Order: sequence, then structure tokens, then C-alpha cells
Amino acid sequence: MLEMWLGGIQGLMQVNELAFLMLGMFIGLFFGAIPGLGGAAALALLMPLTFGLEPFTALALSGGVMGGVPMGGSITAILLNTPGSAPNAATAIDGYPLAQQGKAGLAIGAAASANAIGGIIGTVSVLAILPIAKDIVLLFGPPEFFLLAILGLVIVSTTSRGKLLRGLITGGFGLMVALIGYNDVSGGERFTYGIEYLWDGVHLVPALIGLFAVAEMINLSIKGGSVSNNPASVKITSMTSGLLETFRHWPTVIRGSLIGTVVGAVPGVGGVVASFLSYSMTVQAAKESEKDSFGKGNIKGVIAPEAAINAKDCSALIPTLAFGIPGGVEMAVFMGILIVHGMQPGPLMLVDHQVEIYGLIWALTASCVLASFVGLLLVRPLARVTLLDSQILVPLVLCVAFAGSYAIDMTIENVVITAIFGVIGYLMIRFDYPRLTIVIALVLGASAERNFHQSMLMSDGKWSIYVGRPICLLLLAGVIVLLTLPLARGISQQFAGRKPSAQGG
Amino acid sequence: MPKFTRRDLVKSASLAAPAILLSRLARGAAAFPTKTIQFVIPYAPGGGFDVYVRVVAPVMEKYLPNKVSVVPMNVAAGGGSRGVAQLYRAKPDGYSIGILNIPGMFILQQQQGAGAYDLAKFSWIGAIGEGERYVISVGAKSPLKTFADLKALSAARPVKLSVTGPEGTAYAATMIGSQLLGLRTQLITGYKGSVDYVVAAIRGDSDAVIAAIPTTLRFVRGGTIRVLASFETHSSFPGVPDATALGQPELDKITVERLVAAPPGLAPDIQNTLSAALAKALADPTVVEWAKQNDVIMRSKTPQETAQLIGQQRVFFDKWKKYLTAG
Repeated sequence: MLEMWLGGIQGLMQVNELAFLMLGMFIGLFFGAIPGLGGAAALALLMPLTFGLEPFTALALSGGVMGGVPMGGSITAILLNTPGSAPNAATAIDGYPLAQQGKAGLAIGAAASANAIGGIIGTVSVLAILPIAKDIVLLFGPPEFFLLAILGLVIVSTTSRGKLLRGLITGGFGLMVALIGYNDVSGGERFTYGIEYLWDGVHLVPALIGLFAVAEMINLSIKGGSVSNNPASVKITSMTSGLLETFRHWPTVIRGSLIGTVVGAVPGVGGVVASFLSYSMTVQAAKESEKDSFGKGNIKGVIAPEAAINAKDCSALIPTLAFGIPGGVEMAVFMGILIVHGMQPGPLMLVDHQVEIYGLIWALTASCVLASFVGLLLVRPLARVTLLDSQILVPLVLCVAFAGSYAIDMTIENVVITAIFGVIGYLMIRFDYPRLTIVIALVLGASAERNFHQSMLMSDGKWSIYVGRPICLLLLAGVIVLLTLPLARGISQQFAGRKPSAQGG
Repeated sequence: MPKFTRRDLVKSASLAAPAILLSRLARGAAAFPTKTIQFVIPYAPGGGFDVYVRVVAPVMEKYLPNKVSVVPMNVAAGGGSRGVAQLYRAKPDGYSIGILNIPGMFILQQQQGAGAYDLAKFSWIGAIGEGERYVISVGAKSPLKTFADLKALSAARPVKLSVTGPEGTAYAATMIGSQLLGLRTQLITGYKGSVDYVVAAIRGDSDAVIAAIPTTLRFVRGGTIRVLASFETHSSFPGVPDATALGQPELDKITVERLVAAPPGLAPDIQNTLSAALAKALADPTVVEWAKQNDVIMRSKTPQETAQLIGQQRVFFDKWKKYLTAG
């Protein structure tokens, strides 16, 4: 196997391949930063370009793109509360408050280093797991997916500190919206009111752009001023401070990377779940006293999701390559590129094309690290964006946001969705309702329902299926632990003679 | 130098005018095509139909009379209906063509109502590849070893088949196929994508699965799936009963066709130009090589053959309509 690893690196160390890797990385950075575009759009546009290329070169290009997108996305998430791609919405939760405090440089630096480390840890994990990858993918069926979705919903709702009821309300709203559209299990449309666009449901990315970017711009224009009111702090931004922070919080990085790797390997779950799960678990694991600082600019809240996103990018290759089940839209397009070049994803791919696969993994990792580097280099000029007056910033961001939303698939209804969710998002900011829960509900809602129905069809309606399978038991245990942990903490604190925390979670 | 008089001007203008007019006419008649042709794909990039078009379109460019680009354009919404509707409404000037999923589009119309387009009215260019037939398979670890085992199981309890949502071709193939095979079934619906629901059978979510041959072959080679019966008239899988052996010749009619169409009212000469270019592209060595690697039979069809095929498909699926709409 070592020769294969080395073969992969060797294949990459040609001028041609490296050039395309760099090209892909810059394109990925750009597409990642602009909301609405993203890895899928970049790969789709590059597909015709890859025709004349050797398969290995096409993989280097694709790897470059996939490695650059998360870094691009985190930059806009931090500076403008505009997630460049959906998973970066988690980065924005603490990243944007940091920018508002004048610490944008710190946040970007931390994100960049978390990106690089997460990518490396993801790679190492993937290389270790690849031989048994197929078996792992086969272990996750509808019952496991359902419990995973429940776990995700539970974790996220337990992080709405002191706002449990509001978290549940927005989560419930998110679930309602997630159910709009054509229902895969029994056929038939729900809540579409005859509108053709809603056949596919409310599209996630336009909704996210509205909830975060547009809402924030509305807020900013009403507030006035600029993103950060702390020019002194912005001016002393240094590249290395973010870097050091990441190393200081190494448990967070490791935790985030591992979560990203595991979630990424599960097909169909996607990057949003990885980043939000990582964020939520980091909040959970924090000391009681620290928990309230999340959402207000805790650097760990940036490091955790960023590490997860990059680790997930690597491991999402596993189900894609081993079975041809894409982990997300980006992977689906990437599969198209593979097939056009004569590489069929499937059990034989891992046998026939080992060198190419390892080359791809190395390309992805290299691009991750390089993109982080570029991010670190640009920290100072980027931080200055937060000093721009809202009169310049708001129209600019709104234009880009709406244009990006339209550009996803050239449908004007996307823009309508963005506008509607922009207003909803602003109201949520104004009345202090958490947006985290609505995102996770939107992402997991439809798949939770579908997997539940499928599990029931598999078991002929018997609920025992959820305790009869090993991974299900594990997940179920996780859910129970998460629900009872706050309670247990409260009780143990009472025993220790201190007052229990004000909210049960 | 003699002065350029007004008379000279009029003279040259009167000579130039017909020349300009003639060149205009010549360009118009000089055959199609003179600008970029759009190839509409009603699905998202990366999927099966998308890949086929992206392999064939650049090769098609070589075989068109003039040097123009054939550019794939994804219009993915409404399960495919938006792309089809867009193609239907486009100008029939030969600059918009598209790929249609049959019987997928029939089923979609049934689900969504036949408002925006009429499949019978499209101008047919041809087909990319021969229609794919289906087979019924089980996971390699399944206790079922032969088709007889499956029938025996069906007598004892409904056989669980994993399948996509009701708007998918796989659903139709599974419903019709299982009826023809005389199996009692319970469908586990809702899997997303043509690979997902096959992996479900490998994983053990379902007892068996009915899937198209190219998709199944991938897993057969990996040793993870076992084919129990083929819907082909003559089985290409050794030792496995086919439609003839099972006494159900209609099974062979269940296919996925990738038809290439243009908006209604296309001029016959343009239709022929496009059709010829497509046919030559499918015979091109690069395409043939790719097809071989992906288990696709790249036989082309003439517009007439395509129209005939669609007619046959319509009759076949109309017969089975009542099973498909039972939600």
C-alpha cells in the first residue's frame, strides 16, 4: 500500500498537475467565497475543461477546487456573516461576532489553520480507513440515518443556552419548511400550492443566504456604522495570532476533525451536519462558565466547524468512490467528472484505480493547506473589510447575495426565497431567536422523515429495529446521554453544594 | 483623383444592395448551423443523463457541417419537468435540443399533470445509446440463490424491494416488473438516486432489487450482487433465466431510453443534419471506447425509429398506468 501512496504523490509532483492544482485552488477559493456558488458550481463549470486532460490531471484540478472552497467560504462567513457555502454557516456564529469586535484577522487566521489541520487529520483517517471503507458504508442504513438525524437535532437544540423554547420553536419551523415539496416515500406534493418551483422543496442554499447574509445586512443598515466598531483592534491584526490560537485549543481541533471525518464518511449527510455537529459538541464539552460565551465570539466556535468541514471533504470521498453514492451536490458533480474520464465509482474503483485515488487525496490535502496559507497571507487586507461603512458594504453584499442565489440554477424563485428568509432572519436577530436550530432542521428534516418511513417499511412497523442493530444502539445511547447530561450536571452540582445552572439546557 | 460624384454613389449603392441581400440569403440558406447549439439536460450535473450528453456533445461538434459549439446546459428542477418544458417552448430553429428520459417523462407527466408539454409533439433527433434493460438481483450475502427461491419466498410473504420515489423510472420498472413476474411485493420507497437503492439491497435493507443492467453490472463485477433473472429476451447473464424462459416477453419492453429531441415544428432538413451528426458522433472511436468501459451500447436511431419507439413506449405504459398512480 505504501507504493500506492507514494505513487499518488509522484503522480502529483509534475509541473502540469501542480499547475492545475493551483488553478483549481484559486477557483475554489473564489467560488467558495461567493454565496450561492460553491464547489458544485465550480466543478460543473470546469467539467468541459477537463475533457482534454489526462485523468490524473483532472483529479488534481478537482482536488484543488474541493480544497479551496471551504477556506473561501469561511472568509465571507467571518467578515460578512454570509456563509460562502452552507457548512460555513456554523463558522459565522462565532466568527462574525469576532469580526464585530475587531478580531476578524484572528478569526480568519484560526479558520485557516483549523482548515489545514482538519484537512490533514481527515486525510490520515481516510488513508487508514480506505481498505475497510466499503464495510463502513454498508453499516449505515435508514435506521442509522434516522437516529443520526435525531442526534443532530438533539445536539443542536441543547446548545440554545437559556433559549430552549425559542430553539424548539425555530427548529419546529425549520422542520415544517423542510417538509414542503414532493414526498419521496408515498408520492404526492405537500404544501406546494401548485407552485412548480416548490416541487423540490425550499432550496437550502438560497434560504441560508437569506437567513444569514441578507438578514445581517438589513440589521447593519438599520444599525449604521460598519461591521466592526473597533478600528484599533483591526489594525493590529497579525497573521500568527490566529495560528497560535488553533494550536492552543488543540482538543477542539482534534474533536472537530474526527467528527468531520466520521460524518463525512456517512453518505448523504453532508457538510452542514458535520460543521454544526462539531460546533454543538464543542459547546457541550466546554466548561459551564464558558458556555455562555459561545455565539458571542469564542474562537473555539470558529476552530471546531472549520476543522470538521475540511476533514469531511476528505472522507466524503469514501462513499462516493466506493459506491458511487455522492455525499452531496459537489460530490455528485465530481462523480460526473470521474465517469466522463472512464473511472466508474464503485467497488472496482478502489481496486483498479488506487494510484489515482491516492493522488486525488493528496491533491485535496495539498490544496487545503495551500488555501489556508493564502488565507493567512490575506488576513490583514481582509480584516479591513470590517471597517467599511455600511453604506458601501450593504448594497455590495446584497447584490452579491442575490446574484449568487439566482446563479445557483438560474431560477428567480431562489431570489424570492432569499428575500423572504432575509426578512425572517432579521426578525430572528431582532427578537433574539437562534438561527442554528432552523438550519439543522432544514437540512435534516426531510431526510429524517424519509429514513423513518424506510425503517418502518423494512421492519414491518416494528420499533425494535432501532435497538436490534449495533450502530443504532450506539446512536440511541448518544441521544439519551445528550438529553440527560445537562440534568445530570445540574444534580451533581447540587450535590457539590453549588447552585445548579439556571436552565436545564 | 476624379471626384466621387453622387452618381457614383448611387451606382455603387445599387450594386452593393443586391450583393448584401444575396449574402444575407446565402448565409441563411448556407445551412445551419451558424451559431452555438444548446443541449438541454433536465437534470443536475454529474448524473447519468448529464454524463452521456457531456461525452457526446463535444464529439457531435466535429460532425456538424459548420464549426459551431454544442454546449450542454443543465436545467434541473421539478424532477426534470422544467427542462422538458423549456425545450418544448423553445424556437424550433435547431439551436435548442435536449435529452429526454423515457419513460421517466411519461411518469412525471402523470404525477404533475400534462400541462406544460406534450411528449408526442417533440421533433425527434435520435437516441443516445440503446435502451437499458432491467434485471432482478439480490445482495451477495442473501440466502436466495435462484429465481425459484425468490418465487418461493413470495409465496410465504411479500418480497421487500428497495426502490426510488414514485416519480422515478426505477419505481415504474419495479412495479411493472414485479407484476409480470408474479411476485407479491412490499416496496421500500424513497431512496435517492439510481445507485442508492441498489446498495440498499446489498446492505440488506430489502430482499431484492430491480435495476438497470449497467448499474447492476458495476456491482456484479465487485462480487457484491447476484443476478437472479434478466428481463431481456435473451439473457446476457449466464445461467440466469430471461423473459423468454419465464414466459413473459413483455419484460423486455421495460427500458430506460435516452432520447434526443428538439421543439415541435423543426424543419426536416435541419432535423436530418442534427440526426446525422448525432449518429456519427455515437460511432466515433472516443465515444465507442467510453461506452465499452461503461457497459453502454451506443447504437443510434433515426428520427423515424425514435418516433416509433416513443409510440410503443406510450402504449405500453398507458396499459400499466393504473399501477403506477396507486400512491
